[in-house]
Amino acid sequence: MRRRYIGALALVAALTISALTAAAGTSSPDRTNATKIVIWLQNDAESSWPSVVAATNSAFKARHSDVDVDVQYQTWGDHLTKFDASLAGGTAPDVIELGNTETTRYMANRLLQDLTTSSGSFPNSRTWLPALKDSCTYRGRIYCVPYYAGARAVIYRKDQYKAAGIRSAPKSLAEFQAAGVKLMKRYGKQRNYSALYFPGRYVWASMSFVYDYGGKIAEFKNGRWQGTLNSPQAVQGLTRLKSVVTALSRASKTGDEANPQQALVFSKGRVGSFIGNGWEWPYALDKKVGNPSLASKMGAYPMPSHIKGKYMPTFLGGSDLAVPITSRNKALAYDWIRTFTNNTQMRQLATVGKVIPNTTTLTSLHARNPQLAPFANASKSSYFVPTAPNWVQVENARTLQTMLQSIFTGRSSVQAAATRASNQITSILNRRT
Amino acid sequence: MSSGPGGEAGFPATTAAAAETPVARRRRRALRDRSTRALAPYALIAPTVVAIAAVLGYPLYLLGKLSFQQFGLAELILQEGPWIGFDNYSRLFHDRQFWTVVLRTFVFTFVNVGLTMVLGTLIALLLTRLGRFMRLLLTTGLVLVWATPVVVAVNIFRWMVDFEFGVLNWTLTRLHLGDFLNKDWFADPLTGFGVITALVVWGAIPFVTITLYAGFAQVPEELVEAARTDGANAWRVFRDVTFPLMKPLFVILVSLSIIWDFQVFNQIWLIRDGEPEEDYWLMSVYSFVEAFRLGEYGFGAAIAVVMVGIMFVATFVYIRQMIRIGETR
Amino acid sequence: MGLNALALLVFAVMIFPVYWMVSTSFKTGQNILRDTPQWFPSPATVSNYRDAIDDPYFWDNVKNSVIIVTAVVGISLALAFLAALALAKFDFYGRGAFIVLIIGVQMVPLNALIIPLYISLSRADQLNKLSGVIVTYLTFVLPFTVWTLRGFVMGVPKELEEAAMVDGSTRFGAFMRILLPLVAPGLVATSIFAFIQAWNEFLIAYVFLNDQEKQTLTVWLASFTTSRGTDWGPLMAGATLTALPVVVFFVLVHRKIAYGLTAGAVRG
Repeated sequence: MRRRYIGALALVAALTISALTAAAGTSSPDRTNATKIVIWLQNDAESSWPSVVAATNSAFKARHSDVDVDVQYQTWGDHLTKFDASLAGGTAPDVIELGNTETTRYMANRLLQDLTTSSGSFPNSRTWLPALKDSCTYRGRIYCVPYYAGARAVIYRKDQYKAAGIRSAPKSLAEFQAAGVKLMKRYGKQRNYSALYFPGRYVWASMSFVYDYGGKIAEFKNGRWQGTLNSPQAVQGLTRLKSVVTALSRASKTGDEANPQQALVFSKGRVGSFIGNGWEWPYALDKKVGNPSLASKMGAYPMPSHIKGKYMPTFLGGSDLAVPITSRNKALAYDWIRTFTNNTQMRQLATVGKVIPNTTTLTSLHARNPQLAPFANASKSSYFVPTAPNWVQVENARTLQTMLQSIFTGRSSVQAAATRASNQITSILNRRT
Repeated sequence: MSSGPGGEAGFPATTAAAAETPVARRRRRALRDRSTRALAPYALIAPTVVAIAAVLGYPLYLLGKLSFQQFGLAELILQEGPWIGFDNYSRLFHDRQFWTVVLRTFVFTFVNVGLTMVLGTLIALLLTRLGRFMRLLLTTGLVLVWATPVVVAVNIFRWMVDFEFGVLNWTLTRLHLGDFLNKDWFADPLTGFGVITALVVWGAIPFVTITLYAGFAQVPEELVEAARTDGANAWRVFRDVTFPLMKPLFVILVSLSIIWDFQVFNQIWLIRDGEPEEDYWLMSVYSFVEAFRLGEYGFGAAIAVVMVGIMFVATFVYIRQMIRIGETR
Repeated sequence: MGLNALALLVFAVMIFPVYWMVSTSFKTGQNILRDTPQWFPSPATVSNYRDAIDDPYFWDNVKNSVIIVTAVVGISLALAFLAALALAKFDFYGRGAFIVLIIGVQMVPLNALIIPLYISLSRADQLNKLSGVIVTYLTFVLPFTVWTLRGFVMGVPKELEEAAMVDGSTRFGAFMRILLPLVAPGLVATSIFAFIQAWNEFLIAYVFLNDQEKQTLTVWLASFTTSRGTDWGPLMAGATLTALPVVVFFVLVHRKIAYGLTAGAVRG
């Protein structure tokens, strides 16, 4: 009997081992002698500007024929989870793309290579977009290289504006709201029409109102961070935001700008205007998912400030490229970044990807393009999130989303919601990093 | 021969076969059997234990260790943080939000397990009554549901209740059940959890149903027939014949459902676009936010450890019963 | 008749989300999000499927998923069946501890284990390898399979085993001839579970596998979502394709469940 059991066991064990080795065998062994650099880019590059990546790699290979370049595309949802795990396991990539609000946390923990002394060797380092350069700077030292940025402007329906009797682009917030009221009067009978489509969790466009009225999300004073959304200016901005959104928007108060994608809602024809990125204009016209017939009916202008003639500050979102300190091929990593961010590639990126390139010397590229100029103009007045090491934790705790949602749904007053958010921000930003 | 509450252990036929053999042989064989029987179970469980220990042993130890350390981002590379004793735990127990989340998790688990088990059992019973074709149709439908990846299922549900384009709002309004155009299901956590519960239960029913159905298939037809001839109705048959026979299976399904629903994460995380409001936090979300979102890996580990502890307490009765009904037969 | 109507209703309710996925996968981009929902794809298109498969790594990912699932299902069923036998048929010292281990392992939240697992797999040089993912899945599937199979082994009426023994067969022979077919429905139900778990898992596959040619189908599905929104048509087409093998697998093993049924009838 025992022999039978043992026989059966041995069989199972043998099966297990052979299955495992078979599986292991299919994962080809790494060629250890060839140098390989691993690059993590977000999958936006894969879907929107693959040609730029391919051109970069071939230019890089021309100089380093013995080096393999392995570009691995990541998804926004989980890439930091993976990055953290890879840091712990000692297998982090040689180059990583980080959102510009994600960098501070890693800079403050000294997990990115200090580039201060070598920064001069990167293309256009003197003319990097200030907002992106700021997101790469921590306590005066530089830890990453700007990649690209995006600014938001009002994207609107020319025909609807005209039919509602709006002659020219609004020059102030008051004019903007008045125009919206006209649109609502003309089209509002359609139940789901929005003069301004503005979902409740649209954080970056919301904070523009706060900064426009002189408010801030947080301030660094006397060695401590202080949440300042409950300051009179910030509350004024939020109150104004609430009145604009309540009057002009019928979008979900608990949704955000990405789900459903706001440009697609716009393409259905029941939206007068929305605050969107440069790439959202062509997206609304996309042959497959959008509505190409709107091509001649669309326009854009920078969101006006409450002060007539000025622009409302826009959030300058974007990405940076960094080299984790664990990289064993730093020199090669730098060189790859240099190739990826040189003028040729940046020009290409701006054209194909419809984003703002990393250097001010190239912004004129967009000035000549009517579809991109309003966004380039809007980017001249911008705001950025507090550069606190823990900022990304505020973003991750979704403090601002929660605040906005309770303001718009009326679950709490502006003052109460702002105070609550402010306290939470203060406590998160002052945590040990 | 062991004669525990479960009756003879081992393959029962030994006695029958041995009865015909001479005494000496029987004795020799009994001796050999005894040592075989003593070793056999260990040999049988060894591969499983070894596999689990080899893969999970060290990580579990690390998880426990982390929970006693101040372990943030900077510690990741060093793989070592300062030892802070029970600070993470005491911080957790003094966190009022934590207790709210625990309570919410309990209610959520109770509702979801209850609905899953009741509906799953009813559908499994229905399956046993159906003709061949309908049975295959329904089972295939269930398997399709089961086969839908959670990520996709969440997106479909989110779509169906979408504010702008949702088919649910549109249909409800069309059926004149009220004005649901632009109904925001997630504005109120109660209706929001309604959607999440529907999603979780929908996804869990196929497993429960198909397992129970396979179990029902094992119930000897003669027993059911006998009860029927004695004049028992369907409910009596279920209560007196089927259920007692299937009790081990039910206990297993209930305990597994508790364990799974207690840990529901993806459904909530994804349906709220990776940014669930605090009203929607269950324990798993709380632990994930602390660890990966806030970079407090030590604290997140402590939450996970406490979670396991709570689940153990919550399922203690079941575990004990499982060990008991687990007595061999 | 009434029962059939009820069954149809249950079927309709359960299947609707799946139907929505499949019908969406045949809709044109503009018709996917519509103010008035479109119940049937019109015009129907297969372009979403073309877009979905038009990925250089699609077939690699299919192959990886198949390898992982085959290994996980095969190994876990074999190991679990043995352990289930031990649990169901033997009294032994440490039995309670083993049960607690099996149940306890399932209680540990996967999210919390990501970093510790990553560290430990990297030490064993199992990162970016299918084998690393296989053993990880194995340990998450094993407790469940052991547990469920034990229930099925115990469900086999004792008299049947005894009857077989009287026939003079050896224990092992009896076990193979009698027990195995009787437990077959259980093996099938359990293998579906193991199959689906391994087939649909995302986080571990995403974090532990780096090269695109080593990733699995669920990771491929995630690539349809970028910061510029989700490509719904191809995603739903991809999801439909991903669900298909599970259904095929089920149809293949479905006979076993039916066999279990008839086996019960024949027994007397």
